[in-house]
Formats: sequence, C-alpha cells, structure tokens
Amino acid sequence: MLTALAWFGHDAFYLGQRSLRRVYRVPANPISIVLYPLIQLFVFSQLYKDIVQLPGFGGGVSYLAYLAPGQIAFTVFFAVAWSGGNLLYDYRNGYLDKLRVAPISRYAILAGEFVPLFITCVAMASIILALAVLMGAPIATGLSGAIAVALLGGAFGVAWSGTSFVPALITKNEQATSTLSILFFPIAFMSTAFVPTALMPQWLQVVNAWNPISHVIEAMRSLMTVGFEWDLLGRALASILLVGVVLHAGTLWAFRRLTN
Amino acid sequence: MPTIEVEHLVKIYPGATRAVDDLTFAVGGGEFFGFLGPNGAGKTTTIRILATLLHATSGQTRVTGIDVTRDPATVRSRIGFAMQTVAIDPLATGRESLEIMGRLYRVPSSQLRDRVAELLALMGLTDAADRKAGTYSGGMRRRLDLASALVHRPSVLFLDEPTEGLDPQSRSALWAELQRIRDEGTTMFLTTHYMEEADALCDRIAIIDRGQIVISGTPAELKRSIGADTVELHLMSDAGDGLVEAQDQVTRRLAGLTALRSLERTEVGVRLAVVEASSAIPELFRRLQGDGGMIRGLAMSKPTLADVFLRYTGREIRSEAADQPIDLGWWG
Repeated sequence: MLTALAWFGHDAFYLGQRSLRRVYRVPANPISIVLYPLIQLFVFSQLYKDIVQLPGFGGGVSYLAYLAPGQIAFTVFFAVAWSGGNLLYDYRNGYLDKLRVAPISRYAILAGEFVPLFITCVAMASIILALAVLMGAPIATGLSGAIAVALLGGAFGVAWSGTSFVPALITKNEQATSTLSILFFPIAFMSTAFVPTALMPQWLQVVNAWNPISHVIEAMRSLMTVGFEWDLLGRALASILLVGVVLHAGTLWAFRRLTN
Repeated sequence: MPTIEVEHLVKIYPGATRAVDDLTFAVGGGEFFGFLGPNGAGKTTTIRILATLLHATSGQTRVTGIDVTRDPATVRSRIGFAMQTVAIDPLATGRESLEIMGRLYRVPSSQLRDRVAELLALMGLTDAADRKAGTYSGGMRRRLDLASALVHRPSVLFLDEPTEGLDPQSRSALWAELQRIRDEGTTMFLTTHYMEEADALCDRIAIIDRGQIVISGTPAELKRSIGADTVELHLMSDAGDGLVEAQDQVTRRLAGLTALRSLERTEVGVRLAVVEASSAIPELFRRLQGDGGMIRGLAMSKPTLADVFLRYTGREIRSEAADQPIDLGWWG
C-alpha cells in the first residue's frame, strides 16, 4: 500500500513536471492567463475610482484594493478554462494511450495535471497581488497574508478545474470545452468581484450567499484590507472543499469513462 | 510456453461490428510475428487488446504467461507498444521524452541516463537530443516514439503499422532497427498492410481479413503454397499479325512440359505459370530452340505475398494509407 502510494507520488511528480513545461516553455500561455485580469485591474480601478463613495462599500478602502481579489479570482478562472484542454490534446494525439500502456495508475495522470495547475494559479495570483500592491493596494496581513491569498487562489483553481475537465473529457472537443468553460464566467461577474452585495438586487444577494467565488474573494479581500478574519477564511475553505468534492467527482467519473 | 497466446478472441464494438471474430494463435519467444491484412481487418483491435488498452468481448489472451484481463499491470511492465499514431510531446526534447518514459517504467535512476543516451544513439537522434521534439521530421518522430517504447527493455514489443507514412529510406532504416531489436531476443508482434514489410521482417505471418485469420505460416511457406512462379515471354510481333502465330507455336512446343501449370496469352506474348521456374527454364528454352529468335524478352517472378493474399481472400490487398480514426467528439 505504502509503496503503491510512493509510486503514485513518483509518477505524478514526473507527469506534473511535464505538464508544467507547457506553461513555461510557451510564454504565451501564462501571459494569456494573466493579461485580461490585469487590464481589468488597471482600467476599472481608474474608471470606477469614485464608486467606493457609495454607501455599500463601507468607505475607507480604495477601489483598487476592492478590485484586486476579484481579479485574482479571474486569473484563476482563466488558468482553469485552459487546463482541461491539455488532457484533451494528449488524448487526441495518442499520448494518453501511451501513458495508459505504462505501468502507472491512471489517476497519476490526473494528479499530474492538478499539481502544475495549482502552481500556475499560485504564481499568477502572486503576480496580480504584487502588481496591485505596487499600484497602492494595501496588504494588511503582510507576507503571511499574501501567501495565504496566493494559496487560496491555487486551491480554488484545483477545486474549480472540474468546470474545464468535465466538458473536455465528455465532449472530447476543444472548441466545446472552451465555450462551455466561458459559461462559468457569469458566476465570476455576478460575484462580489466588482461591487459588494449591499449594492446588488435581492436575488443576486441570495445567489452570492451560495456563490463559492464570492466567499473566496471575501476572504482574500479581508486578508488584504482588514486582517485575519477566521470566519471568512473558514467559509472560503469550506466553499473550496465543497466545490472540489463535487467537481472532482465529476472529473473522476468522466476520466474513467474516457479511459475505459 | 508461447510468449503470446490468444484463444478464441472476439471483440464486438457497440453497433455489433465484429472487429475480431474468433482469433486463435500463438507467438513463440523471440519470434518476429506479423499480422498482414487490409485496413479494417481487425489488426489494430487485436494489438490494442494484447497491449491492455481495450477489453475483449470474449476469449483468452496471455502475454508472457500473464492473463491480460486479470493482471494488466504486470503485462504493461513487460511490453512496449509503438502505436500507429506517433505520439510525441512537442514541447519536450527528445531526451526529456525518453527520460519521462524511463521514469514511468521504473528504470532505476542509476541506469536511466545511460539507457537514454544509448537509445538516442541507436536511433540516430543524439544530435537532436536536446531539441524540442516538435521540431523533428516525421522519420525522427517515429524513431523517438519507437525508442520510448524500448526504454525499459520490454520482452515483447508491439508495433502497429510502424512504418506508416515514412519515406522508403526511413522505412528501410527502421526495418534494420527492428531486426536489431529482435536479435537482442525481444519477441516482436507487428501489424502491417505492406506486403514487403511483412516479407522482409517476419518469421511467421498470419493473413487476417474481416476479423479472422485466413492462413498463417512462414512467408516462404505461404508463397510456396501458391505453387508456381510466373514466367512472361515477350514474343516477336513486329508484323503485328505474327503474334497469334507465334503464340500458337509456343503453345504447341510447350505442350506436355511437366513444370508448366498454365499458359495465358497476353498482348505481347504469353504468361506461363511454371513450378520452380529457375530449374525449368533450360528445358523450356530447349523446347523453343530453333525459334530462339522469336523470344524478345523474358521476365520471371516469384510469387509474392500479394499473390498469397489474393489467393486466400479472393481480393487484392489495398495499399492506401491506413485510415486514421477521427474522433468527432461529443458522443460520436
């Protein structure tokens, strides 16, 4: 049992190393992940600078600081939207079959996708956070809080990856996968990424009580502007866990279906 | 004990296509065995079942004595599989591609570096070893793909249409490579729709058509079973109408020749089916002597596997490129 687990880690490590190459050997990939959220961060923080004067914002914080956590969530969304396509590419060109003939657990192949996704999300979240701080956003909890923000981004990315893996593995079609992934973007736009719930209509307030992204964004925001608020962090982690369990069950099911 | 044993193997795809229909055969240790057949004959289905990628509908399959269905993991560690579609990771270098396969096949770290260097040299990829595989030519990709199936020194190597899409030069280079691998004691199982390939490489061939083995044997045996060589005589026909006369004369003179199986008139002379033509030719010429000037040219050919295929299936083998299955996605 222990040796099986050790081999699983061994295989996932080398497969993960391979997946990670797709990120750093093709610079267009990480750039495309981080570019749009950065533009949003720059433009919206200028354009809606005075929005924070509205009562719902509670005052005291710049819109840049308010906006940054949402843009971290957007980066994660982009990284995830792109992730299921990799497995699909391997499936199409026959590389997945080659891995299936190797004496490894097929779940190591999946693990080899998730670990690099986590690293990518953490790295991209760090870039947005660093640039936001450079532009003047606060980071109330210091370095440990900054690390926590990045890790939350990574964990949410892995949990959320099912939104790309399930469509990819079921449709086996790149175009359908990216289109279906975009379907999940309204969930980000409806979240508290841009405005607080106090300024939303009633129904959106209800939606956001259940919107996992809002909980993650709120936790990140409190780490940046207030301090360690454990109830918010707990809620974010619970959301990540719940989303992760549900979506990964879907991914596992679809992966088994594809590789049987 | 044979290295590969297949008994009453059946594979029925959804929609009731019987891709493989009651196959039984065995491949001995160290043997170079080939499945020769047209596209859609069931070759790829069989090889994918043996390599643990596909479940059989029914029947027994054992590789190195291990039941493929019951213990695929052990089978996987002992086999190498070079698939019809060359699968390379375009962003990894040749060396990295082999290293990761070595890791996944549990080649000890202490041996990995040397093994990879050895394979790169063997495949003539040393100079390109640190370039991304995406920049390789078709032949190089094939060789890299083959090398990655060899990292762990498998005792059985499965090759599905290994030279598909290669130019003649790369093809014969790869043939030499395959022979060398086999000389190291590896059992080879090859599928091909190229006659010359099966003929050049295999110790034993099974001709497969519509999911069934039509006949099997050594290439020489199969060709001998055709019985006769072909001798074509090109006759004098300057006058045009003299041809029929010449054909009549040859027919008359060769009547009763024991080695002669059949005589057929062609547009330029006659085509003869002659048993062991090389030893029958002197007698043939003696009979035609005196009119030696009548013969303008002679062509002799041994039966080929194409003749064998035609004889046993009643059809010509198509030699167009193998159809690549296209996955249309969704539930298609």
